[in-house]
Amino acid sequence: MTTDRPASISTLAVDWGPEGQPGDTLYQRIDGQLDYPTDLLNLPGLLHGAILRSDQAHARLLAVDTRVARTMPGVHSVVTAEDVPGLNRFGIVVRDQPVFCEDRVRYEGDAIAAVAADTPAQARAAIAAIRVEYQPLPVVEDAASAENQPALHEGSNLLAQESLTRGDVDQALAACAVVVEHEYRTPRQMHGFMETEGGVALPDGNGGVLFRVGCQSGHRDVEQLADILALPRAQVSVEAMTTGGAFGGKDELTIQPAAGILALRTGRPVMIHLDRFESCRSGMKRHPVAVRMTTGCDARGHLLAHRVDAVLDTGAYASLGPAVLENFMDHATAPLYRIDSYAVTGRLVYTNNGLCGAFRGFGGNQATFAVESQLDALACKLGMDPGELRRKNLRSRQEPGSRGQPVRWTAAPATVLDAALASPLWQPGNPAGARWLTGTGLAFGAQGNGLGDGLPDSGGGRLSLTPEGRIRVEFGFADYGQDIAGAITRSVCDALGCGSADVEVVLGQSRGPDSGPTSASRSSVMVHGLLSRMLPEWTQTLKRLAAELTGQPAEDLAPGTGGLFLQGRRLIDYRELAGKAPPDALVAEAGQDFPVAPGQETPVGRYLQLQIATIARVMVDRLTGRVRVTDLHHITAAGRVIYPPGYLGQIEGAAVMGLGMTLTEDMPTRKGRMQRDNLDQYLMPTIGDAPAQRVDVVDDTPENDPYPIRGIGELGIEAVTPAIVSAIEAATGVRVRTLPVSPSALLEAIQAREAQS
Amino acid sequence: MQADPTQRDQIRVLRPATPREAVALAKTTGAPYIAGGSGLQPVWERNGSWPRQIVALNPGWPGFRGIEETGQGLRVGALTTLGELAQHPLIHRYLPCLPEFMDQVAGPGVRHLGTVGGNLCAGGDLSALFLALDAQVHRLSDDDPQEQCQPLEDYSAGDGTLMTALSIPDSRQWRIGLEKLGYRERFSPPRATVACVHDGQTMRRAVCGEGGPARLRSSETDQDTELTAGGWQDPALRLAIQRMLAFLQEDIARDH
Repeated sequence: MTTDRPASISTLAVDWGPEGQPGDTLYQRIDGQLDYPTDLLNLPGLLHGAILRSDQAHARLLAVDTRVARTMPGVHSVVTAEDVPGLNRFGIVVRDQPVFCEDRVRYEGDAIAAVAADTPAQARAAIAAIRVEYQPLPVVEDAASAENQPALHEGSNLLAQESLTRGDVDQALAACAVVVEHEYRTPRQMHGFMETEGGVALPDGNGGVLFRVGCQSGHRDVEQLADILALPRAQVSVEAMTTGGAFGGKDELTIQPAAGILALRTGRPVMIHLDRFESCRSGMKRHPVAVRMTTGCDARGHLLAHRVDAVLDTGAYASLGPAVLENFMDHATAPLYRIDSYAVTGRLVYTNNGLCGAFRGFGGNQATFAVESQLDALACKLGMDPGELRRKNLRSRQEPGSRGQPVRWTAAPATVLDAALASPLWQPGNPAGARWLTGTGLAFGAQGNGLGDGLPDSGGGRLSLTPEGRIRVEFGFADYGQDIAGAITRSVCDALGCGSADVEVVLGQSRGPDSGPTSASRSSVMVHGLLSRMLPEWTQTLKRLAAELTGQPAEDLAPGTGGLFLQGRRLIDYRELAGKAPPDALVAEAGQDFPVAPGQETPVGRYLQLQIATIARVMVDRLTGRVRVTDLHHITAAGRVIYPPGYLGQIEGAAVMGLGMTLTEDMPTRKGRMQRDNLDQYLMPTIGDAPAQRVDVVDDTPENDPYPIRGIGELGIEAVTPAIVSAIEAATGVRVRTLPVSPSALLEAIQAREAQS
Repeated sequence: MQADPTQRDQIRVLRPATPREAVALAKTTGAPYIAGGSGLQPVWERNGSWPRQIVALNPGWPGFRGIEETGQGLRVGALTTLGELAQHPLIHRYLPCLPEFMDQVAGPGVRHLGTVGGNLCAGGDLSALFLALDAQVHRLSDDDPQEQCQPLEDYSAGDGTLMTALSIPDSRQWRIGLEKLGYRERFSPPRATVACVHDGQTMRRAVCGEGGPARLRSSETDQDTELTAGGWQDPALRLAIQRMLAFLQEDIARDH
């Protein structure tokens, strides 16, 4: 079942035929027609909230004087730490972030107070009238030395320290014929969603609150919000509305606590919507990583030793930092390659540099950038082709993962590598003339699905037939642009043979089934698992009921578009069936744990594994050092494709996000202050920077594989960065190890090389 | 830290009936002129400081918007939008390098609002080319009943005078090179934009971007010193400018 036989390879393209088209909501989203939570401006009695944020990166809070603000026109409520009804803390892993700071602010953007007023301008005016007295404290800005500086929280600034070891790395390094040692740095990337953080909190009239917000896990948010609001969980509900992007940046609570407190105080719905300045300053970012890697091999290129020493800057509060560190560590072991001895250590530290947390790739892509760069450096030193070096050391499909854990691939790594080495991008491009230097580079990455490492990870779903005759599928996931609704619809249509108009997908209701968070590339796996559990029996019930109503044998009936068919003729439509079936006869519910390796007491890493090899072709301007990525070719092995538009969107979109992190995106800080405040300074790629892309799928998933569908939300970002820097090196001879690539530094290096030759 | 949030709502927009009245209003109130607003608004928003009054310029005033042939070249109204400039048939004839270059100037929305005059007053992307072309600025001042004319190089925005139009010499037989270095391919502020113009006799070079707009007059060997003195502090950026200039000059010489 898991042989290394050649897999089928296909190039993905959107099929514009009737069955292949993206779902309707995709066009609505592109046209700006989809209502986001921050579009709910016509709610009766709506008040507008605003948050007062610290303008100091680190300070004692001596006084917060709200007296003037309370008397301002249109102001209904002003709240501070004293007004938090319950727990004044939140955080998915560690509840260390205050809703409103009590006696200390820890980053420029920390929340101090909030106001609800009739208009946004009145709310902002009241915020401006709140007087805050600070006593500045020394700013902890250097992550490397943070643990030796005054602690931001109880204990030290070292929030977590992890190590993964195998064999004796010192001994192994001593035995290496070739060793390379380099330092790598990655930027503080911003999610840059279209719709900034926002939503509305609505009092339910019975002391409870309903949140309509952009978020990633309504059920988990309910738990935290109930504690903050001092309400029973039954009195808090969340509707995760279609939102303009999240990418991890809406995994934590954002505006919900302040909006909820204000809604309870005023008895009216309160909307808070951060403007771009506030979002840039106070929003979540990707962890900047500084990592030193020492990697060695024997004279024939067999990897023997690998040492990693990394520091991740989590900023003022923990958020998902510990889990990001874990995923970074896992990827830093070089999971695709056989290495007998490694020692990977990572430290996660608090600083006053804003907030870092979940972000597509989740630490993994930072590690893969360094690992793949190390392999290129070794190949260079050995005088060996980088593809050949990788092939020598690749794990086979039968081998366990780098931490000795069972892993489940959908294709042999060697097959993916072979396909990558056969990419047409290796052919010389058009002659570029004297000005443009061209080069092609490759990188390989692996990525797992699910929360991993034995963290509680489960979820449920629900299936029913509505009175209107639509097949309603309910999950707790949020749709933030990935079009999971399209993928679910396609899965139901494929399984039942019905039409897409027969399916109604309901997502993100905390009153509905809890499917777990919309993160960790886990949704598609859960959807497939849960539908596989619910659909067979539900379909049998459907047929049995239809048989009872029509007098035809159930085994001769088949669901199709609009109803059930007998020998190609529609016998009864779903609506009629829904009207005549007993109540609740057509309701199915199921729950399941996220798949982990069998037979492991405490699961290690992630069981369901995906691969991507990305080949990048770049042009580097010899005059200026600027880099243009012209082509990206991705070879993916991520199971069966159920929804090609979604698959393409995820891989290509994530790759452009990775391109941004590689070439232009960074939010530098100075003395804890963000140095970019809007999208005219923080430069994300535009469509003009987006390269031509090709996505190939290697699918060698066995017919009887219980997990043939994998989540690909993060896969596209995994290998794009090292592929681009490898291509830059091929073009210029210069290896870049600090991101984003500085055209200035590259130009100076190009000039120095020209001078040498 | 927080600006008075109502400032923006309270801006008084003065709408003079004539250009002369605009100049007088600007003088008496000290209020800035505003055309497309695409450059000034983000600055005011970022600084959290909005002017109390602005003098709105009217593209309907004769000669302020549009492009026409003058016999010696082109007259470009200061309120001609960047989008109109990029698409105008006369520009395609007189400055065929410009339409393609305009793709790299801001984005479509900004080109729809932003004006040629506004771009030049802010030292924007067009400055290098217009300086190298020896463009002349037509301007109105409150102490002279006549429209005056002066080289763009000597023009100082913010002295209360009002730019009405630009004259560009007939460059149809000239060879022109134009390059922009931004942070990304599109919609980026200019790090450095350089222009080389050869009128058949002499080569004129100019630059704009992070170091400000300037005509460059030194020989190739002294260029680095000239740029440093002109405010270009980043050595790698100076290197890029010099390499772009050398490339354009070679290109022009090769065509010749």
